[in-house]
Amino acid sequence: MKLRVGIKYCGGCNPEYDRVAIVDHIKQSLQDEIEIVRPESEDVDLILAVNGCSTACADLKFFEGLKIHTITNMEDSDKFIKVIRRN
Amino acid sequence: MPMMTAEQYEESLRRLNMVVHMFGKRVKNVVDDPIIRPSMKAVAKTYELAHLPEHEDIMTAKSHITGKRINRFTHIHQSIGDLVKKSKMGRLLGRETGCCFQRCVGMDALNALSIVTFNIDEKYGTTYYKRFLKYLEYVQENDLTCDGAMTDPKGDRSLPPHRQPDPDQYVHVVEERKEGIVVRGAKAHQTGAVNSHEVIVMPTIAMREEDKDYAISFALPSDAEGIIYIMGRQSCDTRKLEGDTIDRGNMLFGGHEALVVFDNVFVPWDRVFMYKEYDFAGQLVENFAAYHRQSYACKVGVGDVLIGAAQTVAEYNGAAKASHIKDKTVEMNHLNETLYCGCIACASEGHKEPSGTYNVNILLANVHKHNVTRFPFEIARLAQDIAGGLMVTMPSDKDLRSPETGRWLEKYLKANSDIPTENRMRILRLIENITLGTAAVGYLTESMHGAGSPQAQRIMISRRENMQEKQRAARKLCGIEES
Repeated sequence: MKLRVGIKYCGGCNPEYDRVAIVDHIKQSLQDEIEIVRPESEDVDLILAVNGCSTACADLKFFEGLKIHTITNMEDSDKFIKVIRRN
Repeated sequence: MPMMTAEQYEESLRRLNMVVHMFGKRVKNVVDDPIIRPSMKAVAKTYELAHLPEHEDIMTAKSHITGKRINRFTHIHQSIGDLVKKSKMGRLLGRETGCCFQRCVGMDALNALSIVTFNIDEKYGTTYYKRFLKYLEYVQENDLTCDGAMTDPKGDRSLPPHRQPDPDQYVHVVEERKEGIVVRGAKAHQTGAVNSHEVIVMPTIAMREEDKDYAISFALPSDAEGIIYIMGRQSCDTRKLEGDTIDRGNMLFGGHEALVVFDNVFVPWDRVFMYKEYDFAGQLVENFAAYHRQSYACKVGVGDVLIGAAQTVAEYNGAAKASHIKDKTVEMNHLNETLYCGCIACASEGHKEPSGTYNVNILLANVHKHNVTRFPFEIARLAQDIAGGLMVTMPSDKDLRSPETGRWLEKYLKANSDIPTENRMRILRLIENITLGTAAVGYLTESMHGAGSPQAQRIMISRRENMQEKQRAARKLCGIEES
């Protein structure tokens, strides 16, 4: 069964990389392992907070109690892919 | 319908019956007019981004009156975080559109009124705040764009409103009826006026008792009977009539301003938010101005575009590695990020007003806007320096397409051999657009005079500079005893 990952973006005021492209890259890389869903969806297994910079201001109040993985740069996305594959 | 899509917004404008004039003629189809339409598309971007997951965190908020998710442009700031997000939203939209997206002014009017209507009620026992909240809910529920109309024509600047030879130089009440009031006058430089569903009118200066007929604030549907819009011209505006040519610079978006005339317009009482409480006119002006000076965060986003364009043309010209070019782009970024510091600082140092609305730090908002009256001009100068003179001597798109001349332009306007000549022309036209074309209205002259001219900020800085504490600190360090 695929892991249901809710993508929660920051607002993207001044991102240091293309957040949407990175999510597409993650989606393609992990197409057999994860299913991308809206973050407020029921039965979400993990929230992936996609921040455009290290300020990491994505509003995560709604997701208290859920497992959250935060990325703030392109390298973080590869780390996330490795973590998911390892598990 | 808490949040409209861009398409719904456009359709909603088609239902309005506004009286708009341009180039001496009535504009019958405002939405599709080629001069006006790019400005409508810029406002539409504020609707579009609110529906995108990658921007909703900034572009939306939770209404404090209904609890519903709303477009941030209709939101009353409930925290420091809201104020910071407003600044960030400005940068985002400035970068997305490369021009003025026009919707901030209505948001700033709503927030200022949320403070001042409450304060008037506290002093006089009136019910403006309740009336305002009902109106706000209407705006939020219908996701409306509001024109915040402050600047009167002002006539003879040495005279107060009541002493003007022409009493209509400031918007004023001319008749009071059981059902409402009749107003007359005009508002100048109204950004985005014909892309707005509503127009919110406020006084333009602090007033005394003699001017109480001018101390009025109210809201009207933008197509209310008696409102006439006369569009302002912009440098190079008729290039938009030439079709999708590269000579437009910004192929997608633009801004607009209009002179808005109120020719004996009836305003029902439930849309009146200040009526002759002249002692609050100054407070409304000050609060609106502070919010709107924060709103010049948008110029950071336009600056991002201009810096990106300057770097791109440097690469196209083959000059990007030159040390002086690198130094100039560093300077441009330094100035642009300094502007960003100001709009974030005035938000971060904000405070809660008695009504519950969060307000910016007024001193820092004025400092920020004062920087905006200067830095974009230097950024533009550096962009033109990097671009080179071709930006203003370049032949037209039609010459590039012409079988007779196109090959010469392809040959002689080529720089970096890897870059198509057309791309070089496109990026030069974009720099031209922002620094001396239609978008220069927003990026330069609006930066100078919008939300108050430089002197207005200097007056506010002088009022809030807290000189006594600075002097006390100096005296203490050098051993001067306090008397």
